[in-house]
Amino acid sequence: MNWRSLGDVLISGVTIGSVYYIIALGFTLVYGVGRVLNLAYGSFFVWGAYVCWALTAGFARLPVIVGGLIAVPLLFMLGVAVDRGVVNPLRKRPEFDFSVLLATLGLAMVLDNLALAIFGPRPKALPKFGEWRLELGGFVLSAQALIIIVFAGAFAVALALFLQRTRTGMSIRAVAQDPTGARIVGIRLNRVYALTFGLSVALAAAGGILLAQRFFITPLGGWSILVKALIIAVAGGMGSLKGTLVAAFALGMLEAFVGWQAGLLWVMPFWFGVLLAILLIRPHGLFGAAGRRV
Amino acid sequence: MTMLEVEGLNVSYGDIQVIRGVDLTADAGQLTAIFGPNGHGKSTLLKSICGLVPATSGIVRVDGEEVQGRPTDQLVARGIVLVAEDRHLFPEMTVMENLRLGAFSRAARSSEDANLKLVFDMFPKLADLRRREAATLSGGEARMLAIGRGLMSSPRLLAVDEPSFGLVPKMRHVVFDCLRQLADNGLTVLVVEQSTGRISELADQVYLIEDGAVVFGGDTAAALQNEEFKRVYLGQGPGGVE
Repeated sequence: MNWRSLGDVLISGVTIGSVYYIIALGFTLVYGVGRVLNLAYGSFFVWGAYVCWALTAGFARLPVIVGGLIAVPLLFMLGVAVDRGVVNPLRKRPEFDFSVLLATLGLAMVLDNLALAIFGPRPKALPKFGEWRLELGGFVLSAQALIIIVFAGAFAVALALFLQRTRTGMSIRAVAQDPTGARIVGIRLNRVYALTFGLSVALAAAGGILLAQRFFITPLGGWSILVKALIIAVAGGMGSLKGTLVAAFALGMLEAFVGWQAGLLWVMPFWFGVLLAILLIRPHGLFGAAGRRV
Repeated sequence: MTMLEVEGLNVSYGDIQVIRGVDLTADAGQLTAIFGPNGHGKSTLLKSICGLVPATSGIVRVDGEEVQGRPTDQLVARGIVLVAEDRHLFPEMTVMENLRLGAFSRAARSSEDANLKLVFDMFPKLADLRRREAATLSGGEARMLAIGRGLMSSPRLLAVDEPSFGLVPKMRHVVFDCLRQLADNGLTVLVVEQSTGRISELADQVYLIEDGAVVFGGDTAAALQNEEFKRVYLGQGPGGVE
């Protein structure tokens, strides 16, 4: 084994893991709070990257960080609109768990094909955050890797503080833990659902922009991310923030390792193998207290 | 002064009518107790008054203004606050966080600190437990927290569903005495109970509900003279409870 390569793999694992963390957070948050298993999640991930691309390389020629900081709030608003227009009307009907699955699947088709129609099938590349690099004792840390880690970390910390310290954040946790209790204290569930969906989409979009530093943007690029988010969320125990953190970094690291040792073709089989193993061994996830929530 | 007036309230779950034309009034600063057997619609009545369950028809007035059909958050903002029988605390939050969320409504925020002091004065135990997660509380502690959270909403009408359920007798007395004290301080208190016991001594007004309809309503002295009330609740005759 080559130690320098191992160092690169570790850096790569932390970089991917940090993005997987915020992506899985968004996915698990909207499930924990609103019981929405959002199959369009990967499409929002892709759309975040496309909007950022349109604002930078595509049309508006803004610096990439500015483009990202505009794209994420835009996607937040799209998320709020989707909750109000598509998801929330289903809540009043029976079988919400299932109907929302079908509705978000349909939405994913719409979003993917819109992306195909607007941006075309050819992969798009987002401009790099920077071309400089840090060299530390032989290990190389690229600007992208560093900025990805910093931004993902900032998003994660900001979200945690928001949920723990602010009144609105507490109301989101309250709805996750007991929706009737939340109504009793005067929390408007519909507002919390819309806000949570918006936050979730914003996290997907941020993840899409950050990963577009390493991968091309394609109309169907979100599906593998949806699968990974789902697997991380299941591994961590749906709705558990701590479990999601551990699972995201562990699986990000393992993915980098598998890619290095076995080749990139083995990355997706690895993920499905993980899913299989979890469902067989610990169906409630790593932090398997059943029912543990946000 | 009449604070709450309910007129001809009907509530159904699907095809099943649970509340049948209930008329009820509760006066400011009084403790009004609603008795009735299990499964006869008492909880539904409270939930409907507090906007958690929609009524099919009927009128609910608060201070003379009709409020039926309004969403819960608007009712909470007007001080109509429910303490549910199954408590609905936030299990993975601390006692303190649960109390703070009680003051979620804009109307309650300005008096959050004053209300917190009131709650801790009434239930000193909660002050000791403030950092504990609600899920780890005993039944009595959780009941105190549920009432405390209700008080944090700056209620003008506190609707308390079966406060004695699952509590040891000593704890029941603590809870009932505190409800009486709240009424004496000017709060309108509406209590639902299955068994009469001590609460009938403390209540100013009593309603008896059977099969979703009021079969008796009046002040406590009259209730103790009433044949129907005595038959069902004081064990004098067939069907006695407790």
